[in-house]
Amino acid sequence: MRDEHIISILESAPPALLGESELEAIRAHTVHCSECRRAYEAAQISALLLRERALETIEPSPFFQTRVMAALRERQASNETPALGRLWKATGALVSSMAATVAALAVLTIFAPVSQPSAGTQEEIASAFNSYSAEEVLFDQNELPEDQMSYEQVLTTIYEAGEDR
Amino acid sequence: MRSNDYEQTPELELARAARGGDEQAFAEIVRRYSPRVFKFASRFFRQRSLVEEAAQEVFLKAFTQLDAFEGRGSMEGWLTRITTNTCLNLLRSARRRPELTVSDLTEDESTWLDESQADAAAERHQSSERSRVAADLAGRVLETMSPDDQLVLTLVDGEEMPIKEVAEMTGWTQSKVKVQAFRARRRMRKAVEQLLAHKKKSPDGSLESAR
Repeated sequence: MRDEHIISILESAPPALLGESELEAIRAHTVHCSECRRAYEAAQISALLLRERALETIEPSPFFQTRVMAALRERQASNETPALGRLWKATGALVSSMAATVAALAVLTIFAPVSQPSAGTQEEIASAFNSYSAEEVLFDQNELPEDQMSYEQVLTTIYEAGEDR
Repeated sequence: MRSNDYEQTPELELARAARGGDEQAFAEIVRRYSPRVFKFASRFFRQRSLVEEAAQEVFLKAFTQLDAFEGRGSMEGWLTRITTNTCLNLLRSARRRPELTVSDLTEDESTWLDESQADAAAERHQSSERSRVAADLAGRVLETMSPDDQLVLTLVDGEEMPIKEVAEMTGWTQSKVKVQAFRARRRMRKAVEQLLAHKKKSPDGSLESAR
């Protein structure tokens, strides 16, 4: 035992918890082994440091309970906000998609190619929008060509149509 | 019900009331067990602000896990396990300090090492000032080690807590605690040995000469 290095004994337990036989082996060996003596010295200092460290305790402050309860309320409140957050996100998505649609329509309106309608087409369009023009009413009602109507007939028809409305 | 009204309430009933949303019942849990939580958190951290932060986190976690407390064990044990896990996680997320060298030591720490080395075998009386210096130095050496090493060294070697109890607190097997302690002890011893060797190299062993 005297010639066996004692490092494994030092690492098996803190020096304070070593048995008498183990301590005796350490003492016998460290007399002539400087390496193990240094290791034993360091192990003793380590143990001393750890014991002193263990004695140090921080006590809770008188406000600790209040602090925890405030933190708890805060956390509970922040857990409730995700529901609102989800709603806000959904609304945001809807609004942004609507805005994108409006923007796309605006772009199409401004930049879409517009073909110039011919004179004949213009007349067709005008007549389509003006389906209740005086001439049409006259033609529909009398079914007479324009050159066969007298001036008086035209006026009478117009006034009658006005009275009917 | 005010917090004081719960003073005599058994812990299981207290947990049930807190679970049911009774704020005062939970306030009583905090009041009753905060010294124990602080004691354990201060094994991991030395700054008051860090200990308070860790302890607060412990109670907030405990509140969300109240359903898991069924009263099979003590509430103190349950909270100690939460404290250990919380502190280990906090330590793991923090950056580890690089190796401690003689030049990092304060003058007091350097003197403490000299004096302790002179009579390492003797149970030298530690004045409160010397104790503080030793605790500072221990903290600095521990900070260079892994969170798991710090845990076993402070609990097994510092507190002299039984391996079984440490295994229960951490959820590790007893053999893992033993192996971890064995290795951590070696790393701590080597760190101290290195400091002592460097101090011996300097002519007068003083901090200035080491620098």
